[in-house]
Amino acid sequence: MVGLLAAVGRGTARWLARVGALARFAFEAVASLPSLPGAGRRVAGRVLLNQLRFTALEAVGLIVLLSGVLSYLTIATTIAQLDRVGASELIGKLMVVAIVRELGPLLTAIAVVGRSGTAITAELATNTVLGEVRALEGMGIDPYHYLVLPRLFGCVVSVCCLMVLFDVVSVFGGYLAAGLIAGMSGTRYLGIVLANLTTQDVILTSLKGLLFGLVIGIIPSYQGLSVRRGPTEIPQAVIRGTVHSLALIFVLAAIIVGALSG
Amino acid sequence: MTALLVFAAVPLGRVQRTTFGGLPASGAEVEGPFNLEVPPHTTVAVIGDESSGVDTLGGLAMGMAHPPEGRVVTLGAEITRLDRVGQLAFRRKLGYLPAGDGLMQNLTLRENVRLPLRFGSNFRPRDIEGRVDVIIAQLRLTRVADLRPAQANAEERRRAALARALAFDPELVVMEEPFDGLTDSAAGELLEAARGGETAAGGRRAVFITAASLPALLRSRVDRRYRLVRGHLEETH
Repeated sequence: MVGLLAAVGRGTARWLARVGALARFAFEAVASLPSLPGAGRRVAGRVLLNQLRFTALEAVGLIVLLSGVLSYLTIATTIAQLDRVGASELIGKLMVVAIVRELGPLLTAIAVVGRSGTAITAELATNTVLGEVRALEGMGIDPYHYLVLPRLFGCVVSVCCLMVLFDVVSVFGGYLAAGLIAGMSGTRYLGIVLANLTTQDVILTSLKGLLFGLVIGIIPSYQGLSVRRGPTEIPQAVIRGTVHSLALIFVLAAIIVGALSG
Repeated sequence: MTALLVFAAVPLGRVQRTTFGGLPASGAEVEGPFNLEVPPHTTVAVIGDESSGVDTLGGLAMGMAHPPEGRVVTLGAEITRLDRVGQLAFRRKLGYLPAGDGLMQNLTLRENVRLPLRFGSNFRPRDIEGRVDVIIAQLRLTRVADLRPAQANAEERRRAALARALAFDPELVVMEEPFDGLTDSAAGELLEAARGGETAAGGRRAVFITAASLPALLRSRVDRRYRLVRGHLEETH
């Protein structure tokens, strides 16, 4: 029994130490922002633009496809059932609550973790293993400034923009599906959706964009820069970065839903 | 004459890494404290195998590793006692050629040389380009300056890494395994570039080299050579 308790205690202590190290990394990254030198801002700005191009611009096609298919599936599979019980007005509520507020942010974040989170971990882990991070520090360049902050801001801005795109495309996709499948007029469909969309939904979606973007910017960067032993650790770091990011995103989504319903 | 770099009673076996970069300590089997001075305008080389602790010296000199006891004084300051911003700013006064070059793989050789100047100085872009052109010409990199590190050969990469280390024209250059894989003549050329020439403003740069071995041709060009055996220094001639 004592052995079991000791093992649980050791595991908990290790987990807490890892969470503490991650929190410290996140705090130091954000706290380093004011010390970014003026000249360094221009260089970091270029890295940020590059990150935005990769994370946001190059993901547009994937997000359009995901949101279009999801909204089509949602409308196609539910509208007939709702019509049968005379509750087709609920399609607007369904679109807003299920897609705009919950699935939109979640699926966007999953897509960004899959595309950019993995790339960030692999890139920073390679930078570390090849001695590039050490060389940066030797040159007086803060890795937070050159490597982490541009990726962090790039992820936050990208996730927020892609979420808006996801929601707009899914509402438009629902508009097409409602017209083609249920013969619902476009004006009626949009009227129902807009009547169900509240300011709180917009605020919640924006908050999720911010939080999920922070998670995708911080955890993969932390895992990438934590590689110590060599190239064989890179795939492990990528897995840790992806799994931890997804887990935290789902937990945050659940906490937000819980806080609202409580 | 005040030494530019001083190691005073540092226990190399218990050095702690304080920065992101760099792998964990190699588990050096080191006895006793380490003492060494690098005077101005002097080239000092410390040679030793992995278990000697020689691979910790560069990080200590640059303030990227912390000695639990003793002191490491670089250009009159204990870098690890400064705050993070102060440490980074201080390192811009030094030249650093890390083991394995550490060139950014997504930048060309020219962009690598330009990076510290663009990030850490307020020079105008035109002045930065002028400085980069001069260093690249000095290190004979003009022909390959627009290649990425993976497209260049080992000697060109090492030259580019040294060019980057000399970007701020430092008084002291710290070089880790600088001649690894180079021919004797290329190694000699690299050392001369690191030391620089006598100028009206002063003498040659001080150079601190740590390595597993030193090419035979270079032994006479190094002012002081030491062999590090388990933390104990033996001057060799």
